[in-house]
Amino acid sequence: MSKDLEQKFVSDLEQNQNIVHKICKLYTNNQHAHNDLFQEISIQLWRAYPKFRGDSKFSTWMYRVALNTAITLYRKSKRTIKTQGFESVSFKIKATDYDDTEEEQLKLLYKAVQHLSDIEKALVFLYLEDKNYKEIASTLGVTEVNARVKMNRVKNKLRKILNP
Amino acid sequence: MDQLELLKKDWQKQDSTFPKLSKSELSTLIHKKSSSIVKWLFIISLLEFVIPHLIILFTGDNDSTKIYEDLGLTSFKVISFTVYYIVILFFIYLFYKNYKSISANSNPKILMQNIIQTREVVKYYIWFNLTMFFVISIVILYKVFNTPLFIDKIPEDVNMTIVWLVCLVVIALLVVMFWLFYRLIYGVLLNKLKENYKELINNNIDC
Repeated sequence: MSKDLEQKFVSDLEQNQNIVHKICKLYTNNQHAHNDLFQEISIQLWRAYPKFRGDSKFSTWMYRVALNTAITLYRKSKRTIKTQGFESVSFKIKATDYDDTEEEQLKLLYKAVQHLSDIEKALVFLYLEDKNYKEIASTLGVTEVNARVKMNRVKNKLRKILNP
Repeated sequence: MDQLELLKKDWQKQDSTFPKLSKSELSTLIHKKSSSIVKWLFIISLLEFVIPHLIILFTGDNDSTKIYEDLGLTSFKVISFTVYYIVILFFIYLFYKNYKSISANSNPKILMQNIIQTREVVKYYIWFNLTMFFVISIVILYKVFNTPLFIDKIPEDVNMTIVWLVCLVVIALLVVMFWLFYRLIYGVLLNKLKENYKELINNNIDC
């Protein structure tokens, strides 16, 4: 791969690196795993870069490749790493003295999001990034209607986790 | 859902909390190749150590102990094998350490240092193996030439200097053969490391 291409890619990646960081934050729960995923996503983006034609914005293309990488790796690690079950989360939340301050609510929200499935996390992520349903649908490769239905389910699931 | 809106607001504020990687750090990141090359160096060194031992284990101990005994080299065998095992295990440990540190670091300077270090270690490893082979062969030959059996059988008028010269040439040829073998296995990997190193240097100059 030519050097010019690499330089262009690295400068695109540098400008948009926060997208990768945010995905890592959502799919990992410690700094080490965060860094590993960051590197893995960077490598996958670089490998896929020659196929990026510039039809869409770099960031849009990046959302797709990065989320795919995160989802694939998340699935792989799930087979080996024991994840916390749903029940234990709602129990923990129930046990916490419910505090109405914003900060406390945010903590609970982040905790709840951590326990969504890989695809649900991707949906929430794009929602938090303020993407409209059309963009969400094209990034995840589903229809717009499907994206809406799925998002509603995720909202319901979060509601259930937060208000058991 | 109000709670999700709250989360969204907070989510969009967090941009400044992430570490900002520079271009050179990012380009190092995508050159992960080095870590897989160093991993192969580690695996090959390990195989090279394990396979001959497995062969000996499954074919049963050959007569080497008796041969050494007959030549009066028992203590030489013990010493040379002990040195050999300690040094080789130390090399394998170094290969492993290099592999670990290369795969854990994203700093281009440290990665370059690691690449240089790994290349050095491989060179020393090869030289150690060849030297060991050479020294052990010479010692065994010397002992063989001095056994009564050998002295009885050899005609009186044979010039021992010529015999030694011929043997040295044969050993030297064997050493060269081993050297070529090593160059084949490790040379390919070392060249790849070198290329990666060059790319890293170029990137560092540009960025």
